[in-house]
Amino acid sequence: MQRRSIALRLAGMFSAVALAGFALIGLAVHELLARNLAHHQQELVDDRIQDLSYMLEHGRSADLVDRVHDKIAALTGDGRTQYWLWSEDPAWRYGVDPRNIAEVTRSASGMLRMPVGAGQKQLAVAGIDIAATPAHPPLRLVAGVDTAPINQILRRFEIRLLPVILCGALLVAALSYRVASVGLRPVAQLSADARRIGPNTRDQRLRMPALPLELAEFGSSFNSALDRLDAAYTQLESFNADVAHELRTPLANLIGQTQVTLARERGAVELREVLQSNLEELERLRTIVSDMLFLARAERGERAARCVATSLSHEVGKTVEFFDVLLDDAGLGVDIEGDATAIVETSLFHRAVTNLLQNAIQHAPRGARIEAHIEGTPEGALVSVSNPSDPVAPEQLLRLFDRFYRVDASRPNSNANHGLGLAIVKAIASMHGGRVFAHSQDGIMTVGFTLGGNRGAGEA
Amino acid sequence: MKILIIEDERKTADYLLQGLTEQGCSVDVAYDGIDGQHLAVHHDHDVIVLDAMLPGLNGFELLRSLRAVKNTPVIMLTARDGVEDRVRGLREGADDYLIKPFSFVELFARLQALTRRGRLHEATLLRVGPLHVDLNARRAQREGLRIDLTAKEFALLELLARRQGEILSKTTIAELVWDMHFDSTTNVVEVAIKRLRAKIDAPFAAPLLHTIRGMGYVLEERSTNS
Repeated sequence: MQRRSIALRLAGMFSAVALAGFALIGLAVHELLARNLAHHQQELVDDRIQDLSYMLEHGRSADLVDRVHDKIAALTGDGRTQYWLWSEDPAWRYGVDPRNIAEVTRSASGMLRMPVGAGQKQLAVAGIDIAATPAHPPLRLVAGVDTAPINQILRRFEIRLLPVILCGALLVAALSYRVASVGLRPVAQLSADARRIGPNTRDQRLRMPALPLELAEFGSSFNSALDRLDAAYTQLESFNADVAHELRTPLANLIGQTQVTLARERGAVELREVLQSNLEELERLRTIVSDMLFLARAERGERAARCVATSLSHEVGKTVEFFDVLLDDAGLGVDIEGDATAIVETSLFHRAVTNLLQNAIQHAPRGARIEAHIEGTPEGALVSVSNPSDPVAPEQLLRLFDRFYRVDASRPNSNANHGLGLAIVKAIASMHGGRVFAHSQDGIMTVGFTLGGNRGAGEA
Repeated sequence: MKILIIEDERKTADYLLQGLTEQGCSVDVAYDGIDGQHLAVHHDHDVIVLDAMLPGLNGFELLRSLRAVKNTPVIMLTARDGVEDRVRGLREGADDYLIKPFSFVELFARLQALTRRGRLHEATLLRVGPLHVDLNARRAQREGLRIDLTAKEFALLELLARRQGEILSKTTIAELVWDMHFDSTTNVVEVAIKRLRAKIDAPFAAPLLHTIRGMGYVLEERSTNS
């Protein structure tokens, strides 16, 4: 598709507006001129009538007829004026078919334009009645003036006006194209800025101070989109590094142990030991890979299927029961408070609560009470697990749900969870249209998630 | 148990063949969809292990053509974890599915579950050597001594006794005893087994509850030291 230029479009629109404006002005001027000329014509005709009517009204001589005819001859010498006289008395009649023209002008008030004579000249005609005097009977005097000169003036005006209007519009087009191009310079700068952004220059942003008002909002939303992408990209990068790191340890163990074992003759018992140890490492790898795939599914936007309306307190209770032996060993107890019914995939829900409980058990001091809190919300439900713990800094709370993030970085790479436990809680929450939250207050650490009502149940 | 394995990945097919044969199964193997379809349709198997991605004829197509003629239980192996694959497999008539990477113990447990369907023999008194588990009275005793168990411990013992001689993975145990249907990374099962062992084995000379490292647990009487 041919891309349309904004400058060209603006120039086109401006010149269309200019053309319309000029045309309107032209029309108005034309109308004014036509009116003035018509007025002028009326005056001309009136003058011609005046010339004769004075003579007719005041002339008393016996040869008035002849003198009038002479006067008419003198007045019509230029060929542009024509007179008619109509009277019952044939001696006073003048002009071609005077009766007809006298009738026509009498039936209309004011000036008429009409074709007259063999040449069909267009004339402006008007007439008056002149009362009888001793010198003549009642008369109808009609004068006509050729309209050609005035029409010519109008025509000439029109012929000149058209090119002036067109040239004006073209000039406006050219000027507005130039002006629009200059006005759009910030856009060019914007694209130059954008061109500089690449995988290796991710910190580059559109320069906001340089942007005009109209582009400021676009610029800032574009920049914040870049911020979000950058954050995701950074997370992905560090995540890849984390995955590699997490896989490296078990892989190194597997390779090293296998090589050491194969370097000598070993008895069956020893070989079995090694294989069993390898199997444990492999199980660890398998768990990491499975969890990663699970997280990837959630990240692709997969929603929980097989959802049913469930009493959350009952399901939390089942999960707590699962942990009975661990709680007993650690001298911990769990209180379940509240209840809500929500539409969840129970196995996923169990998994999320398991991970929360596991997290709480790891961090709670011996003999403490863990509280599992459930409440209904307008959107669905909220489940949280609280345990007494050392205060956790806000920036750590934010990262708690990141993959492979461990609050206590020095903690040995324990077999449990691989640092994916809370990331999985987050994934499960999002699969149910919910989100996760964490806060640490007055020595109580609370981690939980919401469920987004029926939104997760729509898909089968 | 007569099993057909349809899997193009040689290493996978070979270890499945060896593992299942050693578990006492009679195993046929097909390395592509065409052979697999032929074997599945023209021979009778108790259960079929079917890879979703196959050359020639993919697993879903094979399953559809198989279902047109017979109802042999099928367990599908999918490498892709997409919900579409799982839903599709089950819709086309698969009885179960496993996502790669899966553990052999898990696969074997599922195969047994599929073939066991419909032929549950309900014994009420289970014996594992000197250990007697009375399911009606919910009581266990060993060598005449009554063993006090909590409800969950009894449920765990019941499962192990019902499936004695069979390796049960931690996942299977969590699923059947606690109804937790996911791969848990907790050591709940280990701790529970440890406690059960303390009650049924510790006071006695020969252990019955054995740990198979990296695989799971098995309850059986072993005649000599192994």
